[in-house]
Amino acid sequence: MAKVFNWQIGREMDYPYEGVRPQRQFGMIMDTNKCIACQTCTVACKTTWTPGRGQEYMFWNNVETKPYGYYPLGWDVRILEKLGVQDMSSFPYKGKTLFESAPGGERLLGYLPDDLDYANPNVGEDDSYGNMPQGAYLQMPHMQWMYYLPRICNHCTYAACLAGCPRMAIYKRQEDGIVLLDQTRCRGYRECVKACPYKKVYFNAMTRVSEKCIGCYPAVENDQQTQCTITCIGKIRLQGFISAPDKVREDNPLDYLVFVKKVAKPLYPQFGLEPHVYYIPPVHVPPAYLYQMFGWGVEEAIATYRKATDDPKLLGALLLFGSTPDIIHHYKVEGGHAVGYDEKGAEMVRVPMSEPIHVRAAYDERYQTYRTNIS
Amino acid sequence: MNTRYRIGWITLIVLALSLALAASVGAEEVLQAIRVKDEGPLVNPEAGFWMGAKAVQVTMIPQIITIPMNPNAAIKSLGVKAAHNGQWVAILLEWKDSTKSDRIMLDEFGDQVAVELPVQYKKDAPPSPMMGNPGGRVNIWQWRAAFQHDIEHGEPQVRDLYPNVRVDLYPDQVLRAIDARPYMGALGVDNPISRPTHSPVLDQMAEGWGTMTVQPEQNADGKGVWNDGVWRVAITHPMASMTENQPRLQPGDETLIAFAVWDGGNREVGPRKAWSPWVPFKLAK
Repeated sequence: MAKVFNWQIGREMDYPYEGVRPQRQFGMIMDTNKCIACQTCTVACKTTWTPGRGQEYMFWNNVETKPYGYYPLGWDVRILEKLGVQDMSSFPYKGKTLFESAPGGERLLGYLPDDLDYANPNVGEDDSYGNMPQGAYLQMPHMQWMYYLPRICNHCTYAACLAGCPRMAIYKRQEDGIVLLDQTRCRGYRECVKACPYKKVYFNAMTRVSEKCIGCYPAVENDQQTQCTITCIGKIRLQGFISAPDKVREDNPLDYLVFVKKVAKPLYPQFGLEPHVYYIPPVHVPPAYLYQMFGWGVEEAIATYRKATDDPKLLGALLLFGSTPDIIHHYKVEGGHAVGYDEKGAEMVRVPMSEPIHVRAAYDERYQTYRTNIS
Repeated sequence: MNTRYRIGWITLIVLALSLALAASVGAEEVLQAIRVKDEGPLVNPEAGFWMGAKAVQVTMIPQIITIPMNPNAAIKSLGVKAAHNGQWVAILLEWKDSTKSDRIMLDEFGDQVAVELPVQYKKDAPPSPMMGNPGGRVNIWQWRAAFQHDIEHGEPQVRDLYPNVRVDLYPDQVLRAIDARPYMGALGVDNPISRPTHSPVLDQMAEGWGTMTVQPEQNADGKGVWNDGVWRVAITHPMASMTENQPRLQPGDETLIAFAVWDGGNREVGPRKAWSPWVPFKLAK
């Protein structure tokens, strides 16, 4: 295996292919604090890409409740259990990645789910952790908690699906880093389904080959954000391009949130895939759980996020979420607005840093009554 | 992979190669294709002429050279017979498999068997029996139990695999066929693994691992019958070469032949299989 550098675990690691970063890397940030699991993203993705025969239970985008929601059933706890207890006490990561834990005769550690594991996409929905005992009260983090985790393919730098395919039918595009599965070359071995720890490659029993999230590449090629991003009613998502850690641009909102302010974290970085969907961790969930799921620095991320109103540049980047269907390449905060620009510097969107407040008189002369809501 | 694993695998590979060598030396036995009078493609595994052909028992070795692998491949031996009628050559393959696996779902794999021949046989420099090598092209005829099922019973529909499924509407019910194509996945791009087939045997070529390619022209045919825990599969192919990617065979020719077999019930697929080294192959005059 080749040695490649994975910045999310802070060290070199084994990977079956040489480490070549694409010219640009597809990236997405999701603010879990704003997600209400309305599944609009899921439906947008489903109607756009997977309404066909054999795709009935195939959700390239899904939203699950954590800790008890999984699609497919137990996807993360099963691979975590197989990986075993790893040392995450310090950074760089001292434990093993999935590639470094490859059993004999395998390219990496993985497992093939059962078909029935996909039968209940809403399992665990809204179930919270633990029961409410006598004398429970509201505190931070919450004593009983749950949160929503929207998921798509992570378009990883070191994609496990790509590594697992013996036919090289999966490839990572140079122009945008999107990971695609060649529908003409796939022979349905299901090695990719087994390999991807996020279980974001699906088998289609009608075509007898596998399929996966395509990062809405026809939209991205036209500088538009993905369907799941632009349809999100909670405006929890921002999709664009994320730089390599040595090429960070502070005026790229993704770079600013991930590398400069470090408020958005990758999903299970310890697996070693360098995934590119980043999550702003839920502020009310015990850090121990979040640490396992989002890695190093979750507490700092939450602390920074909670003070976003004091930090105009951070707040500006957060306000660009869901503000435009166009990919924002540059942004700045000026004149009380967060302004997003396209690649050539043309203004795409202007969002006020605070909504204008109109105060009405407490007493309504016309109806001769007092108002309960005056702003 | 740590050093211990590496040493383990090297030992295994050496062991496998020596086993392969031993098997090939032991397999001095030659597969003889008898000349038969039956005309046309010899697709019937239960045809009477097979009684007259001598069976060669070919030892099957788990594929443990390339990753991924299944060192516990289930099928250890294939009984092989061969025949030709001057126009078509046929191979009859027989092996024990207690489970008939002809359904493909996420966690269900199909039984398969494949026959491999060098496209151009050079006695002093044959291609690798392991799916050929760059410059050493091989022709592979692969029979699939799932295709056999499709031909006999029709391709499974969603309702056949998931009896309780409920779906409002599919794009192909409301769109013109051309507009529904993007929603058909691999079927929409004519992936030969997906598309409806007239033959249970894929006519393919390869030049090494990961290069298996289904040929544009499909000339192989065959039939498989499962009875009492035994698969009997006949694979037949025209002897005259129709493209440069197929061997040109004539009565009296000598060449090589190799085999691979997958037990779907043991989740064998792709490189997780059992295979054989080259076996000398002679066609009667």
